[in-house]
Amino acid sequence: MKSVVLLSDARHPVSGRAVLSRLEAQAIGLGTALGGTLTGLHAGDCEDGVQESLGHGLSALDILSLPPEADPVSALTDFLKAQKADLILAGRRGEGGFDSGLLPYALAEALGLPILADAVALTPGEATDTLVVDQALAKGARRRVTVRLPALVTVHPLAPAPLPFAFGAMRRGTIRRHVAEAADASTDPVEERPYRARPKLMRTSSATASAENLHVGPEPEEAARLILDYLESNGIRRYG
Amino acid sequence: MTRPRIDPRASRTEQRVASGENGRRRYDLSSRTASNPIGPPRRDPRQEWAASLIDRPGRRRYDRSQRPVARGGASNVEAARVGSAAEAVSTEPTVRIIEEPAFLVFAFVDAPGGRLSRFDRQVLGGARLLADAGGGGGAVVAIVAEEIDGLGAAGADRVMSLPTNGSASARAAALRAAIETHAPRHVLFAEDGDAADCARRLSVALGEPLFSNVEHLTARQVVRPNRGRRAELAAAPPRLMTLGEDRAKMHAGAPGEARPLEFETAPSDDQAILSVEIIPGDPARLALSETDFVVSAGNGVTDFEGFRELAALMKGTPGASRVVCDAGLMPRGAQVGASGTVLAADCYFALGISGAPQHLQGIAACEQVIAVNTDLHAAMIERAGLAIVQDAQLVMPALIKLLKERQS
Amino acid sequence: MTPAAFLPWLVVAMVAVAAVQLGRRVALWRSGRPAKVDWVAGLKALPKRYLVDVHHVVDRDKSASRMHVPVAGGLVAASGLLVLGLIPALAASQLYWAVVTLAFLIMAAGVVLVGRRRYPRAMKRLSLGRWQRFPVYLGAFALGGILTSALAAFGNPVPAIAFLTFVVAAAGGLMLAYEVATGPMRHALAGATHLVAHPRAARFEGSRETGLRPIDLEGDKLGNETPQDFAWNRLLSFDACVQCGRCEAACPAFAAGQPLSPKHLIADLAAAQAGGHARPYAGMPYPNERPVAGSAGLHARIVSPEGMIHPDTLWSCTTCRACVEECPMMIEHVDAIVDMRRFQTLELGAIPLKAEEPLGHYRGCDEPNGRALSERTDFAAGLSLPRIAETGETDILLWLGQAAYDLRGQRTLRALIQTLNAAGVEFAVLGAEERDCGDLARRLGDEATFQRLARQNIATLSAYRFRRILTADPHALHVLRNEYPAFGGDFPVIHHTAFLSELIAEKRLSPASLAARAITYHDPCYLGRYNGETEAPRSLIDALGLERREMARSGKRSMCCGGGGGAPSTDIPGDTRIPDIRMSQARETGASVVAVACPQCTAMLEGVTGERPDVKDIAELVWEAVQAGSKATASTSAARELEPA
Ligand SMILES: Cc1cc2nc3c(=O)[nH]c(=O)nc-3n(C[C@H](O)[C@H](O)[C@H](O)COP(=O)(O)OP(=O)(O)OC[C@H]3O[C@@H](n4cnc5c(N)ncnc54)[C@H](O)[C@@H]3O)c2cc1C
Ligand code: SF4
Ligand code: SF4
Repeated sequence: MKSVVLLSDARHPVSGRAVLSRLEAQAIGLGTALGGTLTGLHAGDCEDGVQESLGHGLSALDILSLPPEADPVSALTDFLKAQKADLILAGRRGEGGFDSGLLPYALAEALGLPILADAVALTPGEATDTLVVDQALAKGARRRVTVRLPALVTVHPLAPAPLPFAFGAMRRGTIRRHVAEAADASTDPVEERPYRARPKLMRTSSATASAENLHVGPEPEEAARLILDYLESNGIRRYG
Repeated sequence: MTRPRIDPRASRTEQRVASGENGRRRYDLSSRTASNPIGPPRRDPRQEWAASLIDRPGRRRYDRSQRPVARGGASNVEAARVGSAAEAVSTEPTVRIIEEPAFLVFAFVDAPGGRLSRFDRQVLGGARLLADAGGGGGAVVAIVAEEIDGLGAAGADRVMSLPTNGSASARAAALRAAIETHAPRHVLFAEDGDAADCARRLSVALGEPLFSNVEHLTARQVVRPNRGRRAELAAAPPRLMTLGEDRAKMHAGAPGEARPLEFETAPSDDQAILSVEIIPGDPARLALSETDFVVSAGNGVTDFEGFRELAALMKGTPGASRVVCDAGLMPRGAQVGASGTVLAADCYFALGISGAPQHLQGIAACEQVIAVNTDLHAAMIERAGLAIVQDAQLVMPALIKLLKERQS
Repeated sequence: MTPAAFLPWLVVAMVAVAAVQLGRRVALWRSGRPAKVDWVAGLKALPKRYLVDVHHVVDRDKSASRMHVPVAGGLVAASGLLVLGLIPALAASQLYWAVVTLAFLIMAAGVVLVGRRRYPRAMKRLSLGRWQRFPVYLGAFALGGILTSALAAFGNPVPAIAFLTFVVAAAGGLMLAYEVATGPMRHALAGATHLVAHPRAARFEGSRETGLRPIDLEGDKLGNETPQDFAWNRLLSFDACVQCGRCEAACPAFAAGQPLSPKHLIADLAAAQAGGHARPYAGMPYPNERPVAGSAGLHARIVSPEGMIHPDTLWSCTTCRACVEECPMMIEHVDAIVDMRRFQTLELGAIPLKAEEPLGHYRGCDEPNGRALSERTDFAAGLSLPRIAETGETDILLWLGQAAYDLRGQRTLRALIQTLNAAGVEFAVLGAEERDCGDLARRLGDEATFQRLARQNIATLSAYRFRRILTADPHALHVLRNEYPAFGGDFPVIHHTAFLSELIAEKRLSPASLAARAITYHDPCYLGRYNGETEAPRSLIDALGLERREMARSGKRSMCCGGGGGAPSTDIPGDTRIPDIRMSQARETGASVVAVACPQCTAMLEGVTGERPDVKDIAELVWEAVQAGSKATASTSAARELEPA
């Protein structure tokens, strides 16, 4: 089995430094566990972050050199067509670029591959050329989909933690650089400006809410009733 | 107690929805009732500051360490009562009917387990905002896969059911047909799970850009982060958008009508998908990081047999403080906190846990916290939305008894 | 020929057997990596190192020093004398034999003392097996020697008996010699050589230099995987171990039931060189021992479930150096552990997942908690905290460290900053330019990250002018003071306890007395043991008029809080927790406050539940006293103003 992990030009959320996205590192972990050959693929101009992938379990990495603002889809499509990979793994959305998460879908469309999102586990199917993908749903539920390969799969953050980083392995990994034809990025009609953090809606119940809900020394039965009612009225669980 | 008491049973009965044929009980928990008119009464910060004013000559001093309940005094309570009574009268649910919508706004509703999640309500709330934009007159169409309660209250005027056979591509194809037929002005998705997946499939299929992960939504403008939150993009609300979690308010106004909107599509089939199976999550064996409800034991719990039984009956995932895990009373994997698991659960039920900083770090994201502790001054009591100062060894059997009663 | 006349030849035979046996070990040592050793200086220093440094440690256990002097002395004297007996004239002298008898008698007296440590029941920390048989061989050699030479001294009245006693001596002596390769006797030669060729020789001159050598990140293999990857004098050091178990008795991880015993570890490392599958170890097992297959050899991977040492053993260590402090053979356990961790981390990425987290943060944003460097000074809002970038120079550069991100640590830092302001100290911080010092990365074996941070920090520090670096974090202190020089960063660094006691001595601070409080002081390993600073904090406590009560383990022999070496993040489960043990020792003193001088100790000790003394950093106590002092002077001056002129 031949798998390729797509690597984006991710930025560290705190420092803004080029790093490997955690989700893509998890994708490497899933791919490694499947066995077969696994390589990384990045289209762009920055190698600092993606080369970390070699320390997380990849043995080789292909880099398609593209100018920073170029649209990578056509270059990736051409390269992947030639590769004939059985499985293409990707994160959910880039972290550092246009971040729209459309790239895997655009790629799947261009390659004519089925795409499955939010994988947390991958196992080879019973029949050859099939793959069983466990997709994460809310509340711990899973959707187990058997798909015929080749396919494109994106990874969910609940997938197993990435393999720890090994500096020595990164140093020894192979980087292959390719020249790619840059397609013009579609010009955005939107305005770009510096990021401004906006507060999220409050989730934690406020102190006053606890004030009305402080019960000192209630009868145990009363306490039990209060707890179950609280759970039910907040829609956490329903009993009976 | 200083607040008006809520009789949950009564309000429950009132919330019961007359449901048709199958006779299953259904409740509309979002509706307001006389016995639970508004949920938590409104805060009046002025009143609270005034109440905490220390009665001493000289410079003004406030003591905010005490909870308002301790000092609130009668005036506070009166205010709350008056306020709630007034609102109870004014919000007699009058369904708002939009007969001839000027335009449509689609809201993709995932509703895991057939129940509207908070996120779903936010998407509907966002869609409502867009539908009321400008001159208003737009209608919110909830796109659902199965029958779901409470859509009206969450702001939906229409409900369109697009059945799924488990295939994401088929669902996207059906939605695409619906979009081509009805030409909605906006289609709003949650930036999460199947909704986010469907949004991208549509964007690619329609060849239309997707404005993803909106963090700021108004009628005139949407803003989303870019370049790993170093920049942001702003635009007039486009057609396809996904909304970030906790970024739009839920609908709070008059309920919509949630009238069914029929739409027929020929189900398409995805050749590459060979089988689909749903494996439900089992709270007892779920990873702590993933569960929505954790029942957790600390040093104040001595009966761990009982605790495990309780967690199972409550359908919660068992957790513990480090002291308990260290003592080998619970497995290490159950440890909640900085050096254990950091939870993403909605609700945390802490039995006999003091609430050390390292522990609280693990539950920072939990919206609902229930604490049972013998110590009134425990940090966990402070953090809790429902705090019960009582011996956990007494509360646990009482809970088990009550749960068994309710189940039978 | 009398049987006694064979005794010199017995010694010659023993030396020959020992030489052959030892040759095998020497061959093993030689397969280690080369190391720079100053032989001349080492040889010159040997007597002092042995008689002062080693004896100082041995003497902590009186029963050991009392037995070692006569046994070793008697054995060396008797053997030496016997070699002289090859001179026929001497061998004929009855007086000579009387002297030999005396030497054997001294040795025998020592053997009795040795025996008392082991029979009827051996002390818990000692090894059995070979080590338990050792006194028997010694006894046989001594007793046989006494009788044979005494008979010779009396003119050899009964040759038959003398012959018998000679056989006993020969059996004991040859066994001793035979066991030189693998048995207890190995320690004598390996130990002496180790003292000469010690890998951290400067420790004997009181230097605090680190034993951790920067590794060449471009090298073929990073860190130590097999015995061969150790420097030859490290391999030699493992052979010097006498399995006395002092390190084990001091090891906090061992006490907490984590699967680590430094003694066992060193024995494993010694056994790993020779190969084979057996682990000829007769000491206490690793607590909650994880099974290992035990394959060994110069080229076999040591740390692995298949090898000699389980990874959990390696990750249990807090790098507290209690073992190093206690070891009479001057073995450097921690360096060996970190060298092996380096291989695990850098080459295999085989690090406990929880410990990978801070390393990932380090790679991403230079800070193990994943916090922004620009947030480091957020806690000091409202305090006067100048940045050095504003002026380019200052007197004292305050290194804030990780404590600045932690609520509890911030309290200490705030107290320190206020005290500095009160004393009118000219100081500044690096602010967002301060990266983490890299201590945690280095202890966890991530030398690549450590070296990057060290170089970047040194570049930053070199751009400014200041007289001294002040820090409240002993880990940062150690790294900046003792580990940055290897990368070209030589900065004078002072710990806040030393600095505050300077300020008080110079009368720039006038703390009031905080009398009527009993205090016990917990020495941070990286301050006390690593840097020998045990007096300044105590003098501060005394200066504040507090009643100081010492714990049983204090000063350089203090016990770790469990917070070092990345142990809180590797979090290897044991039976109890190290801080709980330490706190119960503090509780025993009856003190109401445990004074600490390290943010890590504060966090660990404050994590202990139940009734316990308060945990206060000395900076907090000083600030409290300074405040009380200024209030007192304010009120006296106010009182004076009220007096009519
Ligand atoms: C580096 C570090 C990391 C740490 N990481 C974590 C972590 O990840 N997770 C974690 O949990 N801890 C962690 N800790 C430990 C933490 O500091 C606390 O020690 C621990 O959380 C306390 O657990 P507890 O609340 O169960 O116990 P306690 O503090 O002993 O609290 C027991 C509580 O139960 C109450 N109680 C007693 N009897 C009863 C009864 N009969 N009924 C009801 N209530 C009763 C008491 O009033 C008290 O509030 C860490 C500590 C350190 C130093
Ligand atoms: S450094 Fe400390 S924890 Fe590590 S082996 Fe030595 S005594 Fe044990
Ligand atoms: S390593 Fe040192 S202290 Fe430990 S047993 Fe060996 S000789 Fe004794």
